[in-house]
Amino acid sequence: VTAIATPDGATAAAYAESRRHELRKSRLVMIDGSLTVSTSSVEGGVSERIYENGYWGFASAPTSDGATVARVRRQARDNARAMTRFGARPALRLPGGTYRGEHAYIGRTPLTPAECVDRMAALTGWCRTRYPALKSVQVMLQQEHHRKQLVTTDGSDVLNSIQRATCYVILVAESDDGAPVELWERLSGKGSLADLELSVEALAPRLERIHEHLQAKRRAVPAQGGQHTVVMGPDLAGILAHEAMGHPCEGDIVLGGAVTGDLVGQRVASELVTMVDYAHHHGADELMIPVYADDEGTPARDAVLIERGVLKEFMQSRETAARLGMAPTGSARAYAPGDEPLVRMRNTAILPGTSRLDDMIAGVDDGYLLLHTSNGQADSTTEFMFGINLGYEIKGGRLGRAIRDTTVSGSALKVLQSVDAVSGDMVWNCSGYCGKKQPMVVSMGGPAIRARAHLGGE
Amino acid sequence: MSMAATDTPAQLRRAAERALELMRACGFEHAQASAVRVARAELNLNHNEPSLMRSTEVERLAITGVVDGRRASAELGELDDAAGLEARVAALHADALAAPQDKAHAVSASEHARVVHGPAEADLRLLADTVAELLALRARETPKMMLEEGLAAHARLEAHTLTTGGSDLACRLGWYEASVMGTARDGRRASSFNYTGGRTHELRGTPIAERFGIGAMLHDTERQIDARPIGAKFVGDVVLMPNAVADLVGWLLGQLGDAELIAGTSLYRERVGQLVASPLLNLKSRFDAPGVAAISPDAFATPPVDVLRDGRLATLLPSFYGSRKTGLAHVPTPGGGWEIAAGATARADVVHGVRRGALVGRLSMGHPSSNGDFSGLIKNSFSIENGEVAGALAETMISGNVAQMLKDVAAVSRERIDTGALCLPWIRIGGLHFS
Repeated sequence: VTAIATPDGATAAAYAESRRHELRKSRLVMIDGSLTVSTSSVEGGVSERIYENGYWGFASAPTSDGATVARVRRQARDNARAMTRFGARPALRLPGGTYRGEHAYIGRTPLTPAECVDRMAALTGWCRTRYPALKSVQVMLQQEHHRKQLVTTDGSDVLNSIQRATCYVILVAESDDGAPVELWERLSGKGSLADLELSVEALAPRLERIHEHLQAKRRAVPAQGGQHTVVMGPDLAGILAHEAMGHPCEGDIVLGGAVTGDLVGQRVASELVTMVDYAHHHGADELMIPVYADDEGTPARDAVLIERGVLKEFMQSRETAARLGMAPTGSARAYAPGDEPLVRMRNTAILPGTSRLDDMIAGVDDGYLLLHTSNGQADSTTEFMFGINLGYEIKGGRLGRAIRDTTVSGSALKVLQSVDAVSGDMVWNCSGYCGKKQPMVVSMGGPAIRARAHLGGE
Repeated sequence: MSMAATDTPAQLRRAAERALELMRACGFEHAQASAVRVARAELNLNHNEPSLMRSTEVERLAITGVVDGRRASAELGELDDAAGLEARVAALHADALAAPQDKAHAVSASEHARVVHGPAEADLRLLADTVAELLALRARETPKMMLEEGLAAHARLEAHTLTTGGSDLACRLGWYEASVMGTARDGRRASSFNYTGGRTHELRGTPIAERFGIGAMLHDTERQIDARPIGAKFVGDVVLMPNAVADLVGWLLGQLGDAELIAGTSLYRERVGQLVASPLLNLKSRFDAPGVAAISPDAFATPPVDVLRDGRLATLLPSFYGSRKTGLAHVPTPGGGWEIAAGATARADVVHGVRRGALVGRLSMGHPSSNGDFSGLIKNSFSIENGEVAGALAETMISGNVAQMLKDVAAVSRERIDTGALCLPWIRIGGLHFS
C-alpha cells in the first residue's frame, strides 16, 4: 500500500477520507486427515468517503490506479450530493483530531501451506493415536491481515496493519446413546499462524484437558432452566463484556435507542465491575487488535465504559460523538475494502479483581460453572445471550456432573449488578468475528466472574 | 431465462480462460476458474434519517487446481492483474503439492448453464423513493420506532466459470434489496431490536409495508416495548414466525451438507427415504429466486431438488467432493434458494391451536449441538394463552431438540413471507421447555 494524495474537494466537503485497503485471508480445514478446505484470498482496493451538506457519500473500486482513484472520488462526491434529494440539512461539525503514524506487527516468518498442513496432520495423528475412540478429529487454521492506508482532509495520514490467527481443534465423541458430542480447543493471537504455538508438544496438555471434559460431557445432564448462581470462567468474561454491555455502549446503538443512553453516571453494575474497550495497550502489553488511529483517522483512546459499577461513556465515531456531544474514541472501523467505517469494539474487557476461581466455586451451594462459549448476541435492552458448550453443576461448593450445551442469558443491568466475585485472572482471545452489518475482528478478555443469570434447560 | 454465450461480459470469460491456461501450463491436471464482478448501489438510512449513498465494485477471480490428487484454492481481488495471477498460480501449485493426496478431488466436466434474471441496471430514483417510503411509513404508522439502520439497494452480479473438464457456466443476476433494523422506544422503555428484509426482482408495484413483512415487523416491535418475563417453567407450544423458521431450515441443511457427512456426525446420513419430520413439512429448492443462480460453487448446474416430501427425507446434499469422499449421491446446490410449501391452516388458526406458549419472532441462541439440542432466548415474541396472542415477552428461554422439533410440527400456515432466498410460513410446534 502506498500513500495516496489528500482528497481534493476539501473546500466543498466538510470532511473526506481516502483509504487504500488490502485484506489477505487463508483458511485450512482438515477433517479426519482429509484437507477439505485449503484456500487463500486477497481483496484490495481504494475507497473514498465524503461528508457534505449533512450527508455521506461513499464509493469503492477493486483497483487503485490514478484514474480509478479519481473516478471513485467523483462518485463518492456525486453520491453525497445526490442525497440532497431528501432536503438540505445542516452539516455537523465532526470532531476527531489528527493522527500521523504507521503501525504494523512484526511477527515470525509466516508458515508455508506445507508447514500448516504438517502441523494439522501431526495434531490429527496424535489425537487419533491417543484417543482411538473418537468419532472425528477436525483441525481448522485461519489467518487474516488487514492493511489500511488512510488519508483525511483533517490531516491524518495513517498506516494500520492488523493481523490475527486462530486455530481450532475439534474432538467429536459419541454419547452412550450414539449421539455426537463435541468440544474444541481454541488458540488465537496477534500475527500469523507462525506466531501461534501449534506443535503437538505445546498443545498436548490442552488437548488432554479437553478430552477429559469431553468424556464427562458424553454423560452430561441437561441444565435446569431458570435463574442460577453461575461462575463464568475467564474464557467467558470477554464475551460477557462484549455482548452484555459492549454493544449497548456503541455510540450508534445508543443513538438507535439503547437503554444505556439514559444511564451515564448511574450505577449499572456491582462495584466490582470495571469494563474498558482498550484502543491498543493493556498495561505495558500491546493488545491483539491494536488500533492507534481508527479508519476516520481519529487518534484512538481507551473508552472506559463502566468504572466500579458506574456507566461512564460510550465508544464513538466522529459522527456519533458529534450527535451525542461526547468525545470521540477512535472506534470507527471498516472490515473490507468496500465497507464504510462503523462504530466497533476493539479490545473489550472486564478488569480482574482479587478473588480465586477455586474459592468462587467453593462459595456456591447450588449453581453452575460455565467454561466455554460459542456464539453470542446483544440487544438494545442489554438483554444478552451466549451459547455454553462446556459447563458443570456445582453442588455444595464442589463440581458435579457435566451439563449439555445450553445458553446463558439475562439483562446485563441485572446480571452485572449481581456480580459478587471477580477473580484475579486475565484471559484474552481474538478468535471470533463480531457481526454488525459488516464482520469485524475484535479481541475480548477478562477474569472469572460469579453472578446470577438465566440458564436455558428443562 | 436463457442467454446467448455472447451475453456474458467478455472480460469475465477472458479472465477465466487466462487463469485456466496458466494453471494448465503450471502443471495442474484439473482446474476451475471463476471470474466474478459485483456492482452495488446502496442508499442507507440511520436513526430515522437518510444518511449515506454508496457505490461499490468488487471483482474476484477464484481458482482451484488439482495435481497428483492434491488440491488448493485461491481468490484474487482483481480480474486484470496478469502479473499477480501468474504469481498466484505458481504459489497455488506449491500449495497443492503440500496438501495430502485425496482421490475425491476432481472438477466438474461438461456442465453448461446460462442464467440471466433480474434488473441489470439500478434505478437510483427508485432506491431513493423506497427509502422515502420507508421513512414515511415509520413516521405515519409506527412513530415510536427508531430505525437504527435500513437500506434500499440494487446489486448486479456477473460470473463466468470454466473448468479443464469443459464445463462452461455463466450468470448475470440483478436484484433489489430492502431491509430495516430498529428498536421501539417510549420514554425510557425500549423493545428488543428487530429486523427484516429481502431481495426482489421488482421493487415497484407493492407498498414497502407489504414486502418482506416490514410493516408487520414495525407494528409488532412497537407492541414489544412493554415486555415481561413469562414467569413460569412449563412445557408448551411455539408458533415460529418465518424469521425463526429460517433457523430450523439452516440447521437441517447443515446436517445434510459436506462437513457433517464427511465427519460422520450427521443425524441423517442413513435416513434418506425415512420420515424425519412432520408429514406437514415440504422443503424444496427455489434456485431461481432473486440473487440466486442455479449454479453450484463447484461448477455444476443445479436442477430443482426436494429435500423433505411430506416429512420424508428425499435427499442428502453433498457437493461433488463430498459425494466422492463419502460415496453418497452428488446433489449440487447453489448458495441459497429454499422454501417450505404453504400449509393448509390459516395463520390465525395456527395460533388458535396453542393452549399455552409463545409466538416467536426470533431465536437468539447458541449453535445447536451436533445432536440438535438447543436452548435460546425468544426475542420479538408474544405469549399465547388459550389460543390468543397476549403480552410481549422478555427474558424468556425455550429449550428442546431441533431434530425433534421438525418431527413435532403440528401446523403450517397458508401464508408465507417471501424474502427472496427463503420463502417460509408460520409453523406450530409442541413440546418446548419454557423457562
